[in-house]
Amino acid sequence: MWAISKLTLKEIISKRIFLITVIMTVVFLALYATAIYFVSREAPPVEPGAGQGAEIVLLQQFVSSQLLGAGLYFSSFIAALLAILSSVSAISGEVASHQIDTWLMRPISRTQFVLGKFAGLAVLLVAYVIALFFGIVLIHQGFGADWMALDFGAQQLIGAASVFALQPFVLIAFGLLLSTRMTTLNAGIVSIMLYGAAFIGGFIEQFGAVLEKTALINIGIVMSLIYPVDSIYRKMTVLLFNTDSSPLAIAQGGLFTSISSPSNALIVYALLYGAGMLWFAVYSFRKRDV
Amino acid sequence: MNVIETDALTKTYNGKGGISDVSLSIGEGTIYGFLGPNGSGKSTFVRTMLGLLKPTSGRGFILGEPIGTIRSREQVGYLPELFRYPDWLTGRQLLESHAELCRIPVRERRKRIDEVVDLVGMTGRDGGRISGFSKGMSQRIGLACAILNDPKVVFLDEPTSALDPIGRKDVRDLMLYLRDRGKTVFLNSHLLHEVESVCDHVSIVHEGDMIVQGLWRDLMQIEAQVEVVTDHPADVPWPPCVTHVRKIKQEGPRMRWLVQFERESDVPEMIHGLSSARIAVYEVKPIIPHLEDVFLHWVNRKKESAYVGDQ
Repeated sequence: MWAISKLTLKEIISKRIFLITVIMTVVFLALYATAIYFVSREAPPVEPGAGQGAEIVLLQQFVSSQLLGAGLYFSSFIAALLAILSSVSAISGEVASHQIDTWLMRPISRTQFVLGKFAGLAVLLVAYVIALFFGIVLIHQGFGADWMALDFGAQQLIGAASVFALQPFVLIAFGLLLSTRMTTLNAGIVSIMLYGAAFIGGFIEQFGAVLEKTALINIGIVMSLIYPVDSIYRKMTVLLFNTDSSPLAIAQGGLFTSISSPSNALIVYALLYGAGMLWFAVYSFRKRDV
Repeated sequence: MNVIETDALTKTYNGKGGISDVSLSIGEGTIYGFLGPNGSGKSTFVRTMLGLLKPTSGRGFILGEPIGTIRSREQVGYLPELFRYPDWLTGRQLLESHAELCRIPVRERRKRIDEVVDLVGMTGRDGGRISGFSKGMSQRIGLACAILNDPKVVFLDEPTSALDPIGRKDVRDLMLYLRDRGKTVFLNSHLLHEVESVCDHVSIVHEGDMIVQGLWRDLMQIEAQVEVVTDHPADVPWPPCVTHVRKIKQEGPRMRWLVQFERESDVPEMIHGLSSARIAVYEVKPIIPHLEDVFLHWVNRKKESAYVGDQ
């Protein structure tokens, strides 16, 4: 299994797309840092004792959390695309090219092959997602002015990063399942459409929470059950901004965080969902001809 | 013990194509030819033996282990017909990855890789990226992969398809080298001369059916033919064992004939018959049938029997 994991890792790293992804990520982080820098400079800080009151402080906090939320939201998006695009071809691509023949005729089981692919992809993408998460947070806290700095505890950061890392776990497991049965193109289309539907479902749920419309909230919940990607992101923002316990913090959250707080059961569900998809991927691959 | 054994092994795709009802037993130290035209089901058979395809029915064993199990693949090597290897690896990295999958101990890997690289004539070229390899080089590195784990059984599927004449000879020599070391080589090929030059036992497959199998020299014994040079009487009293005679050409006072029998063992009887009739015989030369003739003979015989069966 580890031999397959190592090969999977080497394959991604040796391909040009990985280098392009790394370069584009650096470009994205540089742009984000530039944006943060100029926002800090353009918006004048509140002078102590100027009597401008709590409203301006609240507004600044809102702007600051929105900027961080936007950075994390886009990070989530590019990490998801990378997870989808690398997983949907992991098996189908090798079957189509017959490269898989010489691997599978070795004394390894199909279960080991799928788990090896999963482990290789997961190690790389979880590392990427965590690096991206802390990169965004560090840029936000480091390049921003004092008024932009948000007060994060270590527990908040570790909890949010851990939940954020769940996203590639779910996406890779689902992508691998599709990859055992579909062509790369079909699996990619299905995954990306589901990803888009999950995020639309997430926004509908947020609007439902604001408007107090149960039907809208239920649509979001159903989408979270079908493809629990957006809810993982929302849960991460709740943990990061600690909006679970503070009504004021919820008001600060805005579009890129969560107005309603996804329950802790969601984490368990996402883990079970990923494990279940992986099990189906193994089962499906063991049954098929290559 | 039979190294490869199948019992009515069948693999079809929704009831069509593939290969049906293959029963064979192959012993140790043999080069076994699986001969048939493109699309006759040869690769399907090998891929089923290696667990890449699930059999529709029947059973198969490699070294006594049921096909599809991990144990059945432990001492097996394989060169696929469509040899595609990750082009982002170098030849040596490919071999290192396979060595790891074959659980070759780390301290032995380098030595073993050097050995197989040398055996397939890739010394000094294995460090290049596979993306830069020619088809011939890819096939050679594929051969190195196939024999890397010092397997007892090697399946080679059209192993010379991308090679030049020198490369083809190298592969033939490699097969003979493996056989001499007690290995069993299962050679899939549509090239009659390739099979003839190295194989002891042969199966002929056609349109998904195994038509005949046996020793190659036995399969070659189709309607024996000889050329006979006699003096030139008006009429030669050919003995009854002769099934067909044709004049080839007159050579001065002599005549060259093409004479056909049902069996090679009829030749002495013919010579005796001619001598008894006081016909001078100057030359009797056996004619080895063309490989194509042998192949078509067995295919046509199968078709004829199928036709009679249909009636």
